[in-house]
Amino acid sequence: MDLTLIVVLVIALALFFDFTNGFHDTANAMATPIATGAISPKKAVALAAILNLVGAFLSTEVAKTISGGIINEDPTGSSGVAIGPAMIFAGLMGAVIWNLLTWLLGLPSSSSHALFGGLVGAAIVGAGFDAVNYSVLLSKVLLPALCAPLIAGISAYLATKLAYAITKRSSGASPKRGGFRYGQIFSSSLVALSHGTNDAQKTMGIITLTLVASGMQDADSPVHIWVVTACALAIALGTYTGGWRIIQTMGSGLTDVKPAQGFSAEVSTASAILASSHLGFALSTTQVASGSVIGSGLGRKGAEVRWGTAGRIALGWLFTLPAAAVVGGIAAWITRAGTVGFFIVAILGVAAMLTIWFASRKQPHDHESNISDIDNSGAAVNILTKKERRAKAKAEAKAKQAALRAKAEREEAEEEKVDNA
Amino acid sequence: MIDWMAFLIVAIVTWVAALLIVAAYSLGVRLLAVAKDEGASVGLNKTGAYACFTVCGLIVAFGVILIVPQLSDAILGFSSSH
Repeated sequence: MDLTLIVVLVIALALFFDFTNGFHDTANAMATPIATGAISPKKAVALAAILNLVGAFLSTEVAKTISGGIINEDPTGSSGVAIGPAMIFAGLMGAVIWNLLTWLLGLPSSSSHALFGGLVGAAIVGAGFDAVNYSVLLSKVLLPALCAPLIAGISAYLATKLAYAITKRSSGASPKRGGFRYGQIFSSSLVALSHGTNDAQKTMGIITLTLVASGMQDADSPVHIWVVTACALAIALGTYTGGWRIIQTMGSGLTDVKPAQGFSAEVSTASAILASSHLGFALSTTQVASGSVIGSGLGRKGAEVRWGTAGRIALGWLFTLPAAAVVGGIAAWITRAGTVGFFIVAILGVAAMLTIWFASRKQPHDHESNISDIDNSGAAVNILTKKERRAKAKAEAKAKQAALRAKAEREEAEEEKVDNA
Repeated sequence: MIDWMAFLIVAIVTWVAALLIVAAYSLGVRLLAVAKDEGASVGLNKTGAYACFTVCGLIVAFGVILIVPQLSDAILGFSSSH
């Protein structure tokens, strides 16, 4: 079969993945400033799309990690099977299908981890265990996945505390924290920019990997400018289209995020993603943003963690990589049948996408599945209102008093017993 | 094989950058609130507030310059690319 046709199909699928990434994840960046009324929806969506576009041009470190690190294009193992574009196609298909499936079922997931899972699964099935460079996978994908949300969470926690401490007025005058609303236009823009630098680069990496694997590009050469441009446009278009969906579901319930808290969370998210992108860490931007939302929630007075919700989210994250690896692996196994296998994967994949899409249209989405993963993670922190805090303190004091009284009564009774004896 | 230094760099850069930006913006918000107080110097406080917001923007601009190799080459004279 014509190699060029396969490469074109892989690039098309990769750009589609990029589009869904923008549609699904990056548009969320603008949700908060729209909700607080700091910026009109139209402007916000356009701004997010433009910044995603700009962000995609800023750096290529993450793309280099993916194209030149994780997968050994020419494994030195005994298998001797090189990674071909068909295998990358299989891995991508695994990622896209897993992404759509989790979206349909409303499970927390990460597009990035689905992508890596699909690729790793396809590479292992297609070319053996030697095909994956595990130390790069560990140091540039798996460990950043654990560290970055934690780093962002700690940052958001400290930043929220700091913001409240600085703006607190001892005189009792209004602190006018609404001013953070305008700051959120700025911080959300930064988040959109950072999304562009990390997410769009993953697709650039995949396309470059495909070009290298098919012998159309040297392994050491930089990412082509047309690849950068295509990926930047795809994610920007996805963000723009996805933004309208966000606006439509906006009324249905964002977690209660105060402007000062949202600002702190977003600045932390953007800093963590930008710093990581620069060092070539391929992060899940959703996970970093979730870490920040939880951290900033904990930084507010009267916050408690709902460990059940937090655990459910973490479990979803853990599942993503291996699950997508299984789907990618199955697809790679089918492509081993040659040209026929490749077309079977392509047709089955498109059929699966259409089925999921139709199923999602039939099933009335309740607002829970419509709100983003990041908002879901906000639900992991319960912030008590002043009233609830007071009620809780009262109840605790009452319980303490009751316990003291009971103790006193018991002692009295014992004394009486002694006296009687 | 694992480059722990890189994680440390990400952590420190994230914390320092985020806290500086939030501190500067919060100070700006506070100064704007103070400017509304009775007897406070409106002009002075407002100027201070806008200076704080500018500092915010400058920190971000510096970060972007550090990340983009072409810009850091042109403006800072070196590139921190890996």
